[in-house]
Amino acid sequence: MAIITISRGSYSKGKEVAEKVADRLGYQCLSRDVILEASDLYHIPEIKLVKAIHDAPSVLDRLSGGKRAYIAYYKSALTRLVRTDNIVYHGLAGHLLLKGVPHVLKVRIIADLADRVRNEMKQENISEQEARSMILKDDQERRKWTLSLYGADPWDSALYDLVIHVQKFTISNAVDFVCEAAGLEQFRTTGEAHRKMNDLALASRVKAALVGFNPDVAVTCEYGNVLVFVANPERTTRKLREKVKSLGDEIRGVNNIEVHSGTALPPDVI
Amino acid sequence: MPVIIVSSDLYRTGRDIAESAAGVLGYDLVGREILGKIAEKYGLPEAKLTQALDEGPSFLRRSSKLRHRYLAYIQEGTLFELRKGNVVCQGLAAHLYVLGVSHVLRVRILSDTEKRAGDLAAERNISPNKAKRLLDREKKSHQRWSMEAFQLDETDPSHYDLVISLSQIDSTEAVKIIRETASYPRFKPMTYSLHCMEDLVLSSRVKALLWERFPGIRVRADRGTLVIETAALKREKDKKAKAIKELAGKIPGVEYVEVHVVNHIFRPGPRSFR
Repeated sequence: MAIITISRGSYSKGKEVAEKVADRLGYQCLSRDVILEASDLYHIPEIKLVKAIHDAPSVLDRLSGGKRAYIAYYKSALTRLVRTDNIVYHGLAGHLLLKGVPHVLKVRIIADLADRVRNEMKQENISEQEARSMILKDDQERRKWTLSLYGADPWDSALYDLVIHVQKFTISNAVDFVCEAAGLEQFRTTGEAHRKMNDLALASRVKAALVGFNPDVAVTCEYGNVLVFVANPERTTRKLREKVKSLGDEIRGVNNIEVHSGTALPPDVI
Repeated sequence: MPVIIVSSDLYRTGRDIAESAAGVLGYDLVGREILGKIAEKYGLPEAKLTQALDEGPSFLRRSSKLRHRYLAYIQEGTLFELRKGNVVCQGLAAHLYVLGVSHVLRVRILSDTEKRAGDLAAERNISPNKAKRLLDREKKSHQRWSMEAFQLDETDPSHYDLVISLSQIDSTEAVKIIRETASYPRFKPMTYSLHCMEDLVLSSRVKALLWERFPGIRVRADRGTLVIETAALKREKDKKAKAIKELAGKIPGVEYVEVHVVNHIFRPGPRSFR
């Protein structure tokens, strides 16, 4: 019926909300599964992938494009998993990675810093100062990560359909809000929404296959017709062209695949 | 007697939602209509109050002192209405000064930016990108306004209980969510939360009455006891404290006044304990 992404800071009770929403709606709850899937699909050690998607890109990462490759692998795994619908995803930047898909309900769960610190102290058995500094560091890292890769601030409410503050609200209230919103007509999987999701999954898969050849590669897909964009024509190597050609046969669902270089990028490009 | 405060990035959007929510709940709507009454009470043109709510700080912040005075009047007038309960308040920046009261539900409604940019582009015959830049500038200006006026960033979601974006969720659904949320036991007034509201009402009244003579004062009330903070030169410290005590002591509801004078001439006068 719908895909629900739940964005959360650490110790904000977002995980509990996600699990309870999945439980109530009978949906599958995804988080770490995406890392395992990406690690399996692209043969990357799980620990390396976790580090790459957790820490904000360093200057070196930005130049080498290493981080972008890991994000492409992660996105490819995520879109592959959520294609089936009836999913609650509470992990890395779901609202940004699944941008453009109409039946995605984007939720953010926030909690007061004092409550988060208390939760972490209790769970990790550490001092208040340690807990506070870890949470603030984690928040800063997330902010830097999203800003550097997507130019968006995860604290910007405009990125979500619903932001729920679990202070006056209980977890159960938050679950009610999310379940009710998920049942709205706008978040039903229509034929068109399903097609868009499949196109995004295809584009993500193609990008993940090509990002090793050129970290700046951009991909878009409509009705199975894939366009690969390379900003600098000089970087369009023979190897990349050959790989693009072979992808047409390798990936099911690709009707046609073309490489464009030096042209302006369409807005829905990934 | 819950109180619902609706804030929005676009006045008209917030107003429509607040009107509908008040209608379905059978609550009173407290909006900018009360500005006329406030203006009359303090002998001001109503337009000055509207301007204080809408205009961002000027480059040199010359108008800052006056704006804070007008905002103190608005705060007093709004809180007076909100204490009655069963109200939906919108357009009076109440989300920035009605803090710490558990029976107040604070909701922020975000309009559909894409649609707004499209409408603006068509209206002014400009490109959608330029329209988006204009909207972004407008958002930043209002963000600066809230920081300057109440030292709070109104775009920060942690100042609200719920933020609803109208990009996908339509306004009828948003009203339904507000209606259902208002019925949660958490938003039923309790003795303590009613006291908190009364304290806010009293502190805002004192602030509004003293502001003209003592700009920059900070007022906190606790069951009739007032703590007022102000800045003064060392030599006029006692005189100022005495004058404040005398004036504040005459206000109905005030039982005891404590004045703290901050002895630092370069420090700008703190504004409000909120």
